[in-house]
Amino acid sequence: MIVLGIDTSGYINAVGICDGERALADASFPARADSLEQIVDNIDSTLKTAGLTLKDMEGIGVGLGPGSWTGIKVGVTVGKMLAFSANKPVAGIPTLAALAYSARDKSPLVYAIISAGIRDTVYAARYRFNGNEVIQEGDYFTGGIKDLAPLIKEPVLLVGTGIDSYRQAIVGENGSLKIKIRALEAIPSGAAIACLAARRLEQRKSDNALSLTPLYLKESTAKAFVNKYATKGKK
Amino acid sequence: MLILGIETSCDETSAALVADGKTILSSTIATQLDLLKKYGGVVPEVAARRHAELIGYVIKEALDTAGKTLDDVEAVAVTSRQGLIGCLMVGVAAAKSISYARQVPLIGLHHIEGHIFANILSNPDLPVPHICLTVSGGHNMLVHVQNKCRYELLGTTLDDAAGEAFDKIAKFLGLGFPGGPAIDKLSQQGNRKAFNFPRPMIKNKALDFSFSGLKTAVINMFKAQIAGGEPLPLADIAASFQEAIVDTLVAKTLRAVEEKDLKIVSVTGGVSANSRLRQVFTEVCKKRGIKVFFPKLSLCTDNAAMIAAAGYARMMLGERSDLRLNVFPNAPLGG
Ligand SMILES: [Zn+2]
Repeated sequence: MIVLGIDTSGYINAVGICDGERALADASFPARADSLEQIVDNIDSTLKTAGLTLKDMEGIGVGLGPGSWTGIKVGVTVGKMLAFSANKPVAGIPTLAALAYSARDKSPLVYAIISAGIRDTVYAARYRFNGNEVIQEGDYFTGGIKDLAPLIKEPVLLVGTGIDSYRQAIVGENGSLKIKIRALEAIPSGAAIACLAARRLEQRKSDNALSLTPLYLKESTAKAFVNKYATKGKK
Repeated sequence: MLILGIETSCDETSAALVADGKTILSSTIATQLDLLKKYGGVVPEVAARRHAELIGYVIKEALDTAGKTLDDVEAVAVTSRQGLIGCLMVGVAAAKSISYARQVPLIGLHHIEGHIFANILSNPDLPVPHICLTVSGGHNMLVHVQNKCRYELLGTTLDDAAGEAFDKIAKFLGLGFPGGPAIDKLSQQGNRKAFNFPRPMIKNKALDFSFSGLKTAVINMFKAQIAGGEPLPLADIAASFQEAIVDTLVAKTLRAVEEKDLKIVSVTGGVSANSRLRQVFTEVCKKRGIKVFFPKLSLCTDNAAMIAAAGYARMMLGERSDLRLNVFPNAPLGG
């Protein structure tokens, strides 16, 4: 099954294609504030480079986040509306699982970590591998990197962007445990999203395109938002 | 030409199907009134999240209501300029995805141009050139519509928009949200002349508006009334406040009409649904031999049908956007 995968949760547009077994394309484009401007063009150029069109795709995978709130709203909207318009099944893939996937042959157990935008605050999740399958263990973590440290009690590989500073912070907290903590620098790749989506779609576990929503992890609670933004009257 | 319109610039998630820029086949609006009531106003991130949640359903509903599928859609028009950035992004992301997947043209539009077209859509005989007063919670502008898609901005608000003043005063008087309809309703039982509130800049030759002074005057009077232990004549306050706003909007619009030597006025935007505003405009314009037009009530507030209508007009001029279409939250009307 040929699947297109996209992820715009960070400061890159990741676009990949997977045929169910291996990656046919895996491109990443720098995009800070212009994810929206670039994403469809980047999808188009990635497809063209691979000699394929959107019509050739049998499904669409989209990174749900967590990550930049704006980024994941753009990515998920593009993913689901492409699927709806081209009449393809869609699978939403947690971006942390896509990060973990890139370390699947390097360690049986990984922690995928993504910056929450605010200094030292992270989103994280623990994954174990069964063959090519990525199995999340426990809940998502949102909090300070120092609060993540006590949860790590066995040798593990940390995966993410700017990951060595997180490793150092965790080793600093957990130094007395003397366990081996390694780090693998990685970005959420479009191919990883596509391959994980292909696996899900092959098992006929697609998502409803209309109801697909980003994985914010941080709730937009009344207090947090009213404190952060000035409210603005309307109509 | 069947155009799918998409509008998500503020707190309404809307999609519509409009044929040839004049026939509305469907107009679906999911309003975020529940969130507005909860937070007492628009919280940008909360509104954007709701758009991301609803956009697919709203588009599907617009197609289903019209009895059409995406196979029938020949172009996509979307609000890409002026509004809340995160909200605009959701609509534009959806629009360009549909345009790319279906290989149909895309056009990004200015939200205010949509409001101008809401009235053209409601009144196909509304001639150009004309003077358009567009007024809501988010904007307050006098525009000289020189021709379809050619505009000269004559004046805008220097502080609050009229709709914003309605909301703030309604909140202050404990009338809830949105404030416009609440004040309109309560005013019908009040005396418009009970209080002589200031008509800001009404004598001033400039065509700009300012409503924050009026707002302060109402609040100060309210507080003085409480301090004096007098019973609060809420309906009189609401009616007098509304009258001050209406007088100001009408006077400035008439000045623009005189300046441009035109005899046609279009009043549009959320506040154009206000019954007293419609009444005064109609009376005053009749006396002066000016024709005045209002949109259908369903097209006063933000909606995607007006965006589809504006998109059609621009496409007829040969304009298109490419797939790199981006959003501009503070873009001037231009054009
Ligand atoms: Zn508006």
